[in-house]
Amino acid sequence: MTGSSSLRRTTDASACALSGEARTIHSRWLGEIESDPGNELCFPAGLPGFEDHHSMVAIEIPSQRPVVYLQSLESDEVCFAALPVYVIDPAFRLDLSDDERSALGLPGNGDPSIGSDVLCLALLRKSDRTVEANTGSAIVINLHNGRGVQCVPREGGAGVFRLCPDNGWRREC
Amino acid sequence: MLVLRRRVGETISIGDGIEIEVLEISHTRVKLGVVAPRDVPVVRKETIAVAAENRRALELLTDGPEGFRGTLELLSGAGLRQR
Repeated sequence: MTGSSSLRRTTDASACALSGEARTIHSRWLGEIESDPGNELCFPAGLPGFEDHHSMVAIEIPSQRPVVYLQSLESDEVCFAALPVYVIDPAFRLDLSDDERSALGLPGNGDPSIGSDVLCLALLRKSDRTVEANTGSAIVINLHNGRGVQCVPREGGAGVFRLCPDNGWRREC
Repeated sequence: MLVLRRRVGETISIGDGIEIEVLEISHTRVKLGVVAPRDVPVVRKETIAVAAENRRALELLTDGPEGFRGTLELLSGAGLRQR
């Protein structure tokens, strides 16, 4: 499977050890991916459970939209499948802590606009015979500098949605 | 549970090499600084649950192409590709 990295933004290569050059990335699960420097993302703290993975690239495969893959640049085996949070929960509201704002390099006042300032993704995971995602632990990417964090919900499980057969995304099937 | 009262700038010592300092206190929040050996993970408790979620998320693809194809069919069945 060949994909392309299509997230467009301003590069902040100083935040992580990013290449700053166009290159071909190998993903064990997605194959060869052409990536330019503007598509590389920096997660200064990694993701919970994957703290050593600071550099990632967002990949879209046209036939699979709106699925977005997050491929680690530190390991070809670490790759997540995600959906934009609005696909799962159109009523989603972003609630960033001061620490998360700081990590993203966002100003302290005003809410960032999802889609133009930040991209919010929810990681997909198995749940019995379907899939689920927690919008409360959304991955937020600052589209202006490529920095990313994963939100840590203050109350566990509040944003868990399941893909229900014939009924779309619901909190309960 | 051991309960201790501390002021800003005061610390708590735990075992060998772990210190927690109260850096700042506001109306509803306390800012703490933690010094610990590199091999001692220091995380907010909620982060542990997110780490477990992430490990499960990784399994979605490590099941191989066939396993994930089933997920894509589920997503397609929900009409998500047409959005």
